[in-house]
Amino acid sequence: MGKHMSRAAAPRLAIPAALFASCAAFAQTASHKPDTVWTDGYESPADGPRRDSDAARFLAQATFGPTTAEIARLRTLGYRAWLDQQFNEPVSTSEPYLDWVGNIPDNDVTDDTRLEIWAINAAALPDPSRGQQVPTDLLRQRVAFALSQIFVVSNANGTLNYQPWALASYQDMLATRAFGNFSDLLKAVTLHPAMGIYLNMLQNQKADDEQNIHPDENFAREVLQLFSVGLVRLNEDGTPQLVNGQLVPTYNQATVRGFAAVFTGWNWSNVGCGANTYTCCDEETYFWCGPGNRDEAPWQQPMQPVEAYHDTTTDKQLLNYATVSLPGGVLPHGGNATAELDAALANIVNHPNVGPFIARRLIQNLVTSNPSPAYVRRVAAAFANNGQGVRGDMKAVLRAVLLDAEARSGHLQRPETFGKLREPLLKLTHMWRAMDARAGNGRVGNLSTWPPLELRLGEAPLRSPTVFNFFKPDYSPPGEVRTAGMRAPEFQILSDSLAVSTPNRLFYELFCFYTGSDRCWDSDFADTLQMNLARDAPLAASNPGALLDRYNLLFLSGQMSPFMRATILTQLQQLTADDYGSALGRVRVQNALYLILNSPEYSVQK
Amino acid sequence: MNTRMNPNRRQFLRRSLALALGGVGLQTAFGNLNVLAAAANTRRYVFGDYKALVCVYLSGGNDSFNSIVPYSATQYAAYRQSRNGLVSSGGLALEQAAIQAQSLTALPASGGLPGGLPSDGGSYGLHPALAPLRSLFNTGKMAVVANVGTLLQPVTQAAYQAGNVPVPPQLFSHDDQSTYWQTSRPDDANADGWGGRIADLLYQSNAGLAPMSISLANENRYLRAAIVNPYAMDASGVDKMSYLGDGSESWIMGQNPGGAAAYNALIAEGTQAHVLEREYARAHSRAIDNYEIVSAALDSAPPLTTPFPDTSLGNQLRMVARLIGVRTALGMSRQVFYVSTGDYDTHDDQIDTQQSNLAELAQALAAFQAAMTELGTGPDVTTFTASDFGRSLAVNGDGTDHGWGGHHFVLGGAVRGARFYGRMPSLVQGTDANPNANPDDTGYGQIIPTTSVDQYAATLATWFGVSSGDIADIFPSLHRFDASNLRFLG
Repeated sequence: MGKHMSRAAAPRLAIPAALFASCAAFAQTASHKPDTVWTDGYESPADGPRRDSDAARFLAQATFGPTTAEIARLRTLGYRAWLDQQFNEPVSTSEPYLDWVGNIPDNDVTDDTRLEIWAINAAALPDPSRGQQVPTDLLRQRVAFALSQIFVVSNANGTLNYQPWALASYQDMLATRAFGNFSDLLKAVTLHPAMGIYLNMLQNQKADDEQNIHPDENFAREVLQLFSVGLVRLNEDGTPQLVNGQLVPTYNQATVRGFAAVFTGWNWSNVGCGANTYTCCDEETYFWCGPGNRDEAPWQQPMQPVEAYHDTTTDKQLLNYATVSLPGGVLPHGGNATAELDAALANIVNHPNVGPFIARRLIQNLVTSNPSPAYVRRVAAAFANNGQGVRGDMKAVLRAVLLDAEARSGHLQRPETFGKLREPLLKLTHMWRAMDARAGNGRVGNLSTWPPLELRLGEAPLRSPTVFNFFKPDYSPPGEVRTAGMRAPEFQILSDSLAVSTPNRLFYELFCFYTGSDRCWDSDFADTLQMNLARDAPLAASNPGALLDRYNLLFLSGQMSPFMRATILTQLQQLTADDYGSALGRVRVQNALYLILNSPEYSVQK
Repeated sequence: MNTRMNPNRRQFLRRSLALALGGVGLQTAFGNLNVLAAAANTRRYVFGDYKALVCVYLSGGNDSFNSIVPYSATQYAAYRQSRNGLVSSGGLALEQAAIQAQSLTALPASGGLPGGLPSDGGSYGLHPALAPLRSLFNTGKMAVVANVGTLLQPVTQAAYQAGNVPVPPQLFSHDDQSTYWQTSRPDDANADGWGGRIADLLYQSNAGLAPMSISLANENRYLRAAIVNPYAMDASGVDKMSYLGDGSESWIMGQNPGGAAAYNALIAEGTQAHVLEREYARAHSRAIDNYEIVSAALDSAPPLTTPFPDTSLGNQLRMVARLIGVRTALGMSRQVFYVSTGDYDTHDDQIDTQQSNLAELAQALAAFQAAMTELGTGPDVTTFTASDFGRSLAVNGDGTDHGWGGHHFVLGGAVRGARFYGRMPSLVQGTDANPNANPDDTGYGQIIPTTSVDQYAATLATWFGVSSGDIADIFPSLHRFDASNLRFLG
């Protein structure tokens, strides 16, 4: 902006109000900033939470959304103890739910069935397949969702579209490994048959010159670019290294070919083969073995090698970096499939990029789109060494992500830029959790919609359109955000059509799906997840200001501005008992929630 | 109660501010009326006609060497060998007779212009699934542009292998190569799309305030721009906001006094305290204005009678045709459209997958051309294909890997059709003993492009009305190639 324009800056805040909100009767002088929070300069942010709002804010980052009960629990335990407890909560799996549904007469298991159990575990609803057990692994499920956006597999694939067991198993693998070591996680990702199908490592074969066949490079390329080191060399703080002003590539095409040759000879697990429709995999059957039914074990078991198809004759160029243990990063030929795979994954995991790469991805998914380099460096350091000399300890990484001073108080230090756009799917889970949603039969039909969820919200679990996820970590929308040099990945799915369809989807949930409703054709289905709007209706009818204070805590972590509160309160007060009678409280709750969930202030998690 | 001002008025303000600021956030100059007045008076491009440019993006990297295939003996033999034999014997090579049945009858070069018979003297036909395109080619409505790819400058096999000529970073990577196809700026990872850069230059030629750039396939790099925000709409039509009372499901809520006013106050542009909140508000506010403008125009037009296939691409192109049909109501002089379909990354099961992909493509393109005839757009609409890369000549079992150069189609009334442009590459297979047996090959079964995306794009942009000076700005590498206009458009 030129200097001549800055002189015109003074009146600019007054004019838009006059232009664009001229006939609104709202208090235009009310601040658009949250009220100032006074903090004791000596307190360590990681020792909290000292306020309910701090607890709610932490839970918005670490779970699928705060509830009143969880806020209280976190305040009792404190952040560290809460994390330690969460690290030990047993994993809530999804695969058994598919078996359970499959055993109900006249029930087909589809990929929408997988979304049901995803929602049950995300929103921590009683699981009918496990005797109404309520999931307690809030952090684990949230982190698994973050990991599913890094290590992407998707039903948007000719094969996986019809394999809910494989995808459920993949989800469960991520949840199970979320708090282990990164090495084990990466190996489990590599060998899961869903990944094998998705990025073509399953039945990959060594070069055959006569037939002009080369090893498939798909997994080799993406495991480097998207799952571990990325395209360019990074400093410890995640910023790119520059040599003579130029970015330095992490690897080249020879490296991709080297890894592609390593990842040859892998096929379905032979666990349980020979029986039923499942042909064992060996040299003879290499291209036509595998499970016949989609709920058979091999869809859920790590792939196994068939050595005859593994490349044992070429030296393989792997990643080359200062601290690499293989001379020149070259893996000499001759190893078997497993030995070479282990060596190649170790070559990746020990690359200095992995810490800052994964740190940045997790921070962006859970906390803020634009972490400071120092924040990334601190998390990367925890990746490099958990304090006991162990590299890749995910618990240490997650502690570093969530307890960092920037995570805990970045909204106070950088109130105009800190945070991230909430994902549409998390708005849904947040609403369900905060409003005690339950379905009559414990299942969740809400996500089995047409058009499919991913077209209405721009995303759905394990349904990314490509391996590059629903949105990319470096996406920046044109205009002010880009001009400011900021990233805002989630804006990539905020297209004009989704800017309408997502609010409309939330509208439908709010105005159709509440306890006792028969408003819409599917309001009272046994598997419709209905929110308990009656809980807050009396308060809404008698004291809408107090209702907004409650939702300010549950949804905005106490960050609702005076302007926003006044705006919504004015609207709620226009809804009167004369017009709505005994439904007044419920209608006010619906309007309050709609306006909050679609507001700019709530939509940016700060 | 609707507290919003006329959407056209809001769009006008946005446009004026955006122009003044060159894409800097609108809120920084809100209310600067002098700037608005100045902006309204500078209009560099004025056209008396209408043109639309439609990008059909084949996501994943189409195997164009199995789409446009030689059937002449020498070329076919090389093709069959490098594709590891016929499909019936486990390879990927299509039957010679099936290709010949879809032969492309090319016109010889004329008038001293580029374009004519295939450069290698061979005869070519289409994949059988592309049959609906054959008559478009043979009647002069379609051309083939051979072996197009991302380049910074011309590259030979020797130069590529020696590494002494710069090539686009991260060759063979989907993300990077699709970005470079869509930006034509392999030297700048952050560049806007070339469709978007054209829109930034030309949008003021439109008297109407509807978005010049429209995507039927969500956010994409091709239309990303500094000034013109692409409008991403749904192929099925315009969805309106339920809560504001004009949506198809608004009845569920019933009367809702003050609701729309409160919502509009919350998303009023430029008022929020946080950068991302302002962007969120802007995106929603703009979306509402756009749908009001576009839906009003669509509602004013009689329905198209041309049938379209009920496929993803068919529905997208049908909506593009409908939007072109209301170009006058929208006051449009220049429009750029983006449609896309996926599943082209055929590492596995290529034969079946490509069969269905190409059938979808050809049926949708043929329907679109028929709709353009119905609308009488004559030479005004040009459609072209783009993709991440061509695929490797070498196979990897039942599929192919990421390649580099590939063939593309250009369709429309302005196309100097029934011709091949550029150089057809050799399809001879390299071997371990002689990996460089094919001089067009990197040495690993990937074909080095001989026409750059810059040349392909600049030819389209020139037809679209971009001045030669602006062409040089949009495509800064173009001068490194011998022809800046491939002349496949009249």
